[in-house]
Amino acid sequence: MSLDHNAEKTFCEAGDWKIIMSLQYLKEAVANGDSESLIRYVRLHFGDGNETVGRKEIDKAWVEALKLLLDVPKTDREFIEQTIKEKDAETLAHLYFRLHFYFVERSGEWIHDGRV
Amino acid sequence: MTEEFNKTENKTKQLRPGLWQTVNERYPGSMITKSDYVTLAELKKPLSESRLTFVSTAGLQPKGSLPFDTVHPVGDYTFRRVPSNSKPSDLEIHQLKYPTFGAERDLNVIFPIERLQELQTEGFIGELAPNFFSFIGYNMDAEMLERTLAEDIAEAVEAEGSDVALLSPA
Repeated sequence: MSLDHNAEKTFCEAGDWKIIMSLQYLKEAVANGDSESLIRYVRLHFGDGNETVGRKEIDKAWVEALKLLLDVPKTDREFIEQTIKEKDAETLAHLYFRLHFYFVERSGEWIHDGRV
Repeated sequence: MTEEFNKTENKTKQLRPGLWQTVNERYPGSMITKSDYVTLAELKKPLSESRLTFVSTAGLQPKGSLPFDTVHPVGDYTFRRVPSNSKPSDLEIHQLKYPTFGAERDLNVIFPIERLQELQTEGFIGELAPNFFSFIGYNMDAEMLERTLAEDIAEAVEAEGSDVALLSPA
């Protein structure tokens, strides 16, 4: 078995063939400043392969975060600032993805099959 | 079993010679291509005298171990050791890419640990390796998957002296 890293990946969703990007494709999109392809991938990732669902999931996470702040509760801003200052960007990016799922789970509208 | 083991015919024959063609027809552009003929590994001794391990992409892990990184956009390239004498109640699933409803009711449908324990008790399998191995199948970096995760698991399997590795995608 060998791995064709240049191949564009496909997978089947609801009976239709749909293009999904390989890692190489995403890296090329970054190099070319092709934000549309990257945005599409993020939506597919959060929507379990469904771009429309993914967009709603992103909105859902932000709405859940917004709801928690409407009453201006006391929050640990020192922790926030310290974390951003001390942690590397990669860790913060990872945390950003993790927080998405945290807020989606907290919303009570969990669309995924398993759990984080 | 011994009689089956002693059969010499078709020992190197690919069980499903059309498999890769089927994969590429159904998943055009799939990153997996078949460029080399991979022969099946032969059993060196009967299954009833062999040590068996189990390798799964089910995302199953001992409770209390660091959950698989199901949120990372490019995947998780780590694996967990699952003691082969574990009870289902010792284990849990962390993954987002397949329906787990059935597995939550009975882990054996995706990770047949109790069935393998029974086969060992019955003598059908010589013995189970100390650990089974589990990881999640969401890995976009195929090169890293091959270079690290696959190699790490292969080394771990070899270190425990397994004669047979039962592989199961989730």
